[in-house]
Amino acid sequence: MNQFQYVRASKPKAAIEALARDPNAQFIAGGTNLLDLMKRGVMAPQKLIDINKLPLDKIERQEGNIRIGALALNGAVAEDKLVLEKLPLLAQALNAGASAQLRNMATVGGNMLQRTRCPYFYDTAMPCNKREPGTGCGALEGYNRMHAIFGFSDKCIAVHPSDMSVALAALDATVLVSGPKGDRRIPFAELHRLPGDQPHIDTTLGAGELITAVEVPDNAFTRHVHYLKVRERASYAFALVSVAAALQLDGSTIKDARLAMGGVAHKPWRLADAEKTLVGKPATDETFRQAAEVAMRGAKAFQHNAYKLKLGPNSIVQALKNAAAA
Amino acid sequence: MNRVDGRQKVTGAAKYSAEYQLPNMAYAVLVGSTIAKGRLSSIDTKAAERAPGVLAVITHQNGPKLPGHKPVGKDPSQPQTVGSALRVFTDDKIRFNDQPIAVVVADSWERARYAARLVKAQYAQEAHQTNLEANKPNAFLPTQAKKNPKSPVADYQRGQVDAYKTGALKLEAEYVIPTEVHHPIEMQSITAHWEAPDRLTLYDKTQGTMATRRDFAREWGLPEENVKVIATYVGGAFGNGLHSWPHESAAIVAAKVVNRPVKLMLTREQMFTMVGYRPHTWQKIGMSATPDGKITAITHEAIGQTSTYEEFTEATLGQTRMMYQAPNMTTRYRLAALDIGSPIWMRGPGEATGAFALESAMDEMAYLLNIDPLEFRLRNYTDKDPENGKPWSSKFLKECYQAGAERIGWNKRQLKPGSVREGDWLIGYGMGVGTFGAHRGTSKATAKLLPDGTVLLQSAVTDIGPGTGTAMTQIAADTLGVTPAKVRFEWGNSDFARAPTQGGSAIVNTVGPAVQEACLALKDKLRELAAAGNGAFAAARKEDVTFADGYLTLAGNATARVTYTDLVKQAGGQAVTVESKPSDKGREYSMYSFSVHFAQVRVHQLTGEVRVSKLVSCADAGTIINEKTAGNQMKGGAVGGIGMALTEAAVIDDRFGRYVTKDLAEYHVPVHADAPAVEVYFVNQPDPHVNALGTKGIGEIATIGVAPAIANAIFNATGKRIRELPITPDKLI
Amino acid sequence: MADEQPGLSLDHDEHSQARRTFLKQSSLLTALAFTPGPVVRAAAAELDEKVAAAFEKVPLKLAVNGKRYKLQVEPRTTLLDLLREQLHLTGTKKGCDYGQCGACTVHVDGKRINSCLTLAVMQEGKEVTTIEGLAPGGDKLHPMQEAFIKHDGFQCGYCTPGQIMSAVACIREGHADSEGEIREYMSGNICRCGAYTNIVAAIQEVKNGGQRV
Repeated sequence: MNQFQYVRASKPKAAIEALARDPNAQFIAGGTNLLDLMKRGVMAPQKLIDINKLPLDKIERQEGNIRIGALALNGAVAEDKLVLEKLPLLAQALNAGASAQLRNMATVGGNMLQRTRCPYFYDTAMPCNKREPGTGCGALEGYNRMHAIFGFSDKCIAVHPSDMSVALAALDATVLVSGPKGDRRIPFAELHRLPGDQPHIDTTLGAGELITAVEVPDNAFTRHVHYLKVRERASYAFALVSVAAALQLDGSTIKDARLAMGGVAHKPWRLADAEKTLVGKPATDETFRQAAEVAMRGAKAFQHNAYKLKLGPNSIVQALKNAAAA
Repeated sequence: MNRVDGRQKVTGAAKYSAEYQLPNMAYAVLVGSTIAKGRLSSIDTKAAERAPGVLAVITHQNGPKLPGHKPVGKDPSQPQTVGSALRVFTDDKIRFNDQPIAVVVADSWERARYAARLVKAQYAQEAHQTNLEANKPNAFLPTQAKKNPKSPVADYQRGQVDAYKTGALKLEAEYVIPTEVHHPIEMQSITAHWEAPDRLTLYDKTQGTMATRRDFAREWGLPEENVKVIATYVGGAFGNGLHSWPHESAAIVAAKVVNRPVKLMLTREQMFTMVGYRPHTWQKIGMSATPDGKITAITHEAIGQTSTYEEFTEATLGQTRMMYQAPNMTTRYRLAALDIGSPIWMRGPGEATGAFALESAMDEMAYLLNIDPLEFRLRNYTDKDPENGKPWSSKFLKECYQAGAERIGWNKRQLKPGSVREGDWLIGYGMGVGTFGAHRGTSKATAKLLPDGTVLLQSAVTDIGPGTGTAMTQIAADTLGVTPAKVRFEWGNSDFARAPTQGGSAIVNTVGPAVQEACLALKDKLRELAAAGNGAFAAARKEDVTFADGYLTLAGNATARVTYTDLVKQAGGQAVTVESKPSDKGREYSMYSFSVHFAQVRVHQLTGEVRVSKLVSCADAGTIINEKTAGNQMKGGAVGGIGMALTEAAVIDDRFGRYVTKDLAEYHVPVHADAPAVEVYFVNQPDPHVNALGTKGIGEIATIGVAPAIANAIFNATGKRIRELPITPDKLI
Repeated sequence: MADEQPGLSLDHDEHSQARRTFLKQSSLLTALAFTPGPVVRAAAAELDEKVAAAFEKVPLKLAVNGKRYKLQVEPRTTLLDLLREQLHLTGTKKGCDYGQCGACTVHVDGKRINSCLTLAVMQEGKEVTTIEGLAPGGDKLHPMQEAFIKHDGFQCGYCTPGQIMSAVACIREGHADSEGEIREYMSGNICRCGAYTNIVAAIQEVKNGGQRV
């Protein structure tokens, strides 16, 4: 790990100004991803601005939504009464991620901003356009078992590793940010970018912007929800494929649906077309299979991840089945 | 009896190799090559040397000469492997990716790690080979087999060669296991301390204090007694402490150069590249049988991976030659040398690899014959060793079959795959057999009576987790007739009585008798002492003297009663050292431990996820010294088998010759959620020939046969036969 | 200097004092102190070791196992390395250094975390409990330590302190109600020896024994 200056921020404004002033500075909250990357020489900020003392960890009910502070810990959110009652899909997704220890460290804001787990990104001796633009994509013709089937470019086929973000994408969350130019709201679907020609840029956050909270609008997805995560061991592993499924049922008819996937793209992958095919249909395996087929349109695999073309739709069907049965 | 070192381990007091506090400690971090083959054309260490706190940057350009070092590939004295262990900074040649090219020494770990990133190397790169499949055509017969046709890795046949090919009922199948890595939770670490210019003390993560002492004494041209190796606590090893590695060499060099004690702990990435692994192995089995289920012929071939500088071999084909009654048998073992670091035995080593193929093939043949796989094995059961015609020293495998079948509920198994389901989960049952030689070597042990009445036993042997210290304490207590609390067993120090390296399930077999004999010798001494001070004892027959609860008593004479402590006080502390060897008579028998593992699995029909819902492991391992620690070892071996079957694979990107699975997030070892409650059954019948204790060894058979049991259960659940491990969800959808 | 901006601080008198003392030592350094970070560091590498250390270290106050410490640490020192290398509390283990094994699990303000993935300086003012501080004191062990011995919940012992710290937290969090729940909530602690069956048995005994953990 390189040497760096370390400062603690007690006010958001000071944190934002400090970050805006110094292009080599980074916020540190939980640190579970940043320190990991710094130890391996993948990231080397020259200043860390510790934002853990900022008063941004409240989880509160507001008019029309639930607001979760950016510094609320993943474990605290997953166990929060309000979240369990109103946003059970989010709680499930959080509990599917990492370990109890890491969930006690990682923050909501940090979880959104975690970097890809692509092995080429992590190894400074191999090419990676995300880590070092212009060096090429090691995964494109390499070991791409964990990689994207949607929305990739010839510069990068990495996937976003967050589980929480898949649920937030499904639930139409909004990200609140403060920056040098003031506050703004980012629809969750617009927070993360596709790699395109600039895979080194993960999100649409501007210089010096600080995520302060995420708001999840009131919804009726409080019962028929399921977060399914398929991985290579029973727990504590990143997803091969994950699915956030939420249904609103009227008897056995689907009144409304939300569906998003993880482990398939550079960002949480919302499946709006598949949701549309679900609405008004009976909650049957046949309906779920049709939705899964729609969901997979446009998917394309590489040498080692063709299994996702089948695991993806299968997981969608299973997640919807579990949601309907919940 | 609870583990003797339990308190130390649960309180954090147990000290491992990187946890000794020595004055003026320095920290070393290795710099690895970023190519797999070629030469270093230049190495720039200036920035690293200038970084704060850096004491030295050592490379092949400035490293000290190792007086006893023999260049790689030129040391014929190496017993197990051909070639020789890699040492650091002796030349500019790159043999594998992440080979240490420099070591940075600094006054703190943070500073050493940072400075290590500042070392820049240029290479003259050569084309490398890291792909086993592509190099199969270049596979060769191991040199030791060329020299000795009776070598266990030489070609073997009985009956007709490849006779299965002419069988009416036959199968032919290829099996692949990927590279697996030991990954003990304690990463390899060493603290090297030159106490004088010619006296070296190593606190080292090794399975053999004597072997490590020998290797580094030789490397530095020192008498062995000038090198002391301490390995009291070893945080798991599973085989990767069976060799001496480059990082140990580097720490010793670093300590010499900076003239301070140096601590070096590998990173998790480095645990993949330079301390061995279970080699990626390709296997092919051909098998024929009669319609009533008698095997007529087996041909088993294997190609294992090794490095370019050492020929690593293992007994991949051993179980096939002796487990079943097959009149025609052919085995062929070959090596493919790749530009990757050397492999090293990993728990249940080659036997576990071979058993995956053999026991899968047994299941395939049973299916082909439409016979229950347990019944098929019984029809081919051997009452003597078909490889050499010798009788078994003991074999209670049938008892294991029966016990395991009852406990798993084998009668619920359906012959037809895919017949049992629960909701979206398919349920299947499978079995796999394991065996491993009941090896016994030569060992010494010292026993000493202390004035407080306790017995101190010492052995250089290590305890890497199986509970060696506990078993030895129990053996001593039982032999002496005292409570275990009166016995103190000290281990893990090369200054103690000579003992072999912990490995090959041989430690209780080997060191146990030495401890037993040392205690018997001590008893003789006590009898002599008692006789000298007490006429009644002098006149008594040896067998009438009883040792119990800290007293010597005499049968039929209530007044003849002496305490150990009084005797010791008289004699001023008596010590005996004995050497215990296997008897020649043992050669008349074939000696093996046996196990069978039964698995119940659940496979999700849509996602392909596998959960092992029940595992029963049954062992014929001779006498069980301590049910608690032995049972734990069996359970642990089963969990290792779950990893082998379902989750573990180290993968190299052949374009770069570099691992893409670099840590425990990408290389999946089983976690709590992967492990069911494992049920263990021991036959617990003494073997009359291995040693006087009746033990046969547990460590390897705990794992051997588990992976095929799970693979076979998956077939039974789904009808899908997966012949390449690990069986990840993608292979089942 | 950035850390003198309102709302940003390393709010310690000692640090300011150290800085003032240090600044007095050399006029060259006074100049350097106001130049940007990277330049300072590049230059510091050529300076006297003590001077470089003054630049690099920051003050830290925290409590470990009830004992209060006032320390000077490099910001890049993790809590794990602070415990092991500076406080010599080696009961907390390094098994991967990347938050992937759980061997480094400690409690901070009562919550279990991976000490390898947090900086020591981020624990300012916090209470850390390690395996050495779990037992009530004297010869007495914590019930979880007793249960691990009784059920042989370990082999090599290296992951054990982390398992025990995690197991205690698992019960305190209310996640030890069934075997399945224990396995899921203990999955952040890898035991390569595979003593999982026995660890779960130990946790269940403590949980069912109703002792205060």
